[in-house]
Amino acid sequence: MKKRLLLLLSVFTFTLSAFAQDTTKSDPPLVISGSVDTYYKYDFSQHNNIPTSFASDQNSVSIGMIDLALKKKVGKAAFVGELSFGPRGQYQSIPNGDGNTTNANNSFHIQNLYVSYDVTDKFNLTGGYMATFVGYEVISPVGNFNYSTSYLFTNGPFQNAGFKATYAFSSKVSLMAGIFNDSWNLYKSVDKVNTFGAQLMVSPVTGWTAYLNVLTGKLSGTEFDLTTSYQITEAFKLGLNAADYKPAAVAGTGGFTGVALYPQVGVSKTVTLGLRGEYFKTKTGSFVPLGPPPGSSVFAATLTANVKAGPLTLIPEFRLDSNKNNTDGFTTKGGGLTKQASQFVVAAVYAF
Amino acid sequence: MAQKDSLQMDENNTYVYYKVVNQVAVPETEVYRRAWDFARNLNRNSRPEKGQAEHAFNISGSFLVYSGTSLMRKESGAVSYLFNFQAADGKYRFKFGNFKFIPYKRDRYGNMVPASGLSTPIEKLADAYTQKERDAYFDQIAANCIYLDKQLKQAIYGTEIKKVPAKAIKVNTDKW
Repeated sequence: MKKRLLLLLSVFTFTLSAFAQDTTKSDPPLVISGSVDTYYKYDFSQHNNIPTSFASDQNSVSIGMIDLALKKKVGKAAFVGELSFGPRGQYQSIPNGDGNTTNANNSFHIQNLYVSYDVTDKFNLTGGYMATFVGYEVISPVGNFNYSTSYLFTNGPFQNAGFKATYAFSSKVSLMAGIFNDSWNLYKSVDKVNTFGAQLMVSPVTGWTAYLNVLTGKLSGTEFDLTTSYQITEAFKLGLNAADYKPAAVAGTGGFTGVALYPQVGVSKTVTLGLRGEYFKTKTGSFVPLGPPPGSSVFAATLTANVKAGPLTLIPEFRLDSNKNNTDGFTTKGGGLTKQASQFVVAAVYAF
Repeated sequence: MAQKDSLQMDENNTYVYYKVVNQVAVPETEVYRRAWDFARNLNRNSRPEKGQAEHAFNISGSFLVYSGTSLMRKESGAVSYLFNFQAADGKYRFKFGNFKFIPYKRDRYGNMVPASGLSTPIEKLADAYTQKERDAYFDQIAANCIYLDKQLKQAIYGTEIKKVPAKAIKVNTDKW
């Protein structure tokens, strides 16, 4: 592994030094983008039941995050630095410090912090702390149709720190391979940089893109993921996410598997309706995902509308989750065991 | 006149940037060759294709359009086009047309990328975009066509404008 890392580093260093003298015709300005989001949620049991990420506060007008991304590209070299402030952008999605006890209360606020270099038009090298390439949904509410998130998203990686190389064979096929820190969602490795990740992108027809992802490491476990979306007509889009996760031996046995379907239809210039139907199964074993206990399953249906007014999107949504068993974690208003949980959310997301 | 006024409606009710240039002193075959070389640089992933008429070709290309100003300026989409060129005795004509808008959105890494890959003819932008957004896009489409028009002219006439280096003004510090 050390030899592989040294080889990767030497290739990276060589390419940087070989192309560092390139002159640039013009310097695009620093670009600022981001979003703010706020929401109200009401769980009909009058307490929190559904354990997926974000939209977590019961009967409360609450904040998501303010997300600020800076991007600069000069010639072939670029950086992205994305900072987030608020529950969604801090303790709900990123670690505070770097793992040192003395930094436990030092919030770094980093969603993305990486540099990249276009070695050629088709070949790119990127290194740093990046949003994960795995999965359909993302942390930024601007990137999701639904405001609440899936079980697959909640249990998958959020960020991976590492180094990756991407080669575009054509506009229809590209391949990414990289080496990442041994644990997901941390600013630094626990001990090693030994998680391998790869992504094959294919776009068979215009409007249809599919990503086959794998992330495997001795500490992080192994996740296989298929993420695809097809804009079949101007009004109708179909998305699909399927994943299977097996924890590393040191983390336990079991894991999870699941599939989510995302049909969306534009009903007017400003309104799009969408459904997310997800089946999430926890495997029998010692690993405990967020969701039903090991050996059980849940089906979650979320009906969401996106109402756009320029950069502002209003997102009302109704969600019904059905566990396999009464004892899988949901409780009624009176505290009794139940298979079902339901909630209403209305969120406002402003993108800039 | 707004730059978008440089775009015209053709007989098919689609927007085009169309020019006929007369009294060209360069021989027809040379005009065609130089325009071909110019077109090869429009799209690295594609080569010009010969047209049915003599000394005619076409090639597709695209350019980015932006929204916002200053630090908030970012790519809001790409506009693809078809470039048709024909040289004749003492003249040439060309057309940028078949404009299609491909909207962009920000991806998980903070980059602006095509939202779905589907494109919309610019004549149908009114279905999804405000008048202000459409005006901005049309202005940029026209500006890009005007820029490429000038580049083509330079390629054909071989009169690339070269900047004359400014003479350095020296001062004699020995004197008061």
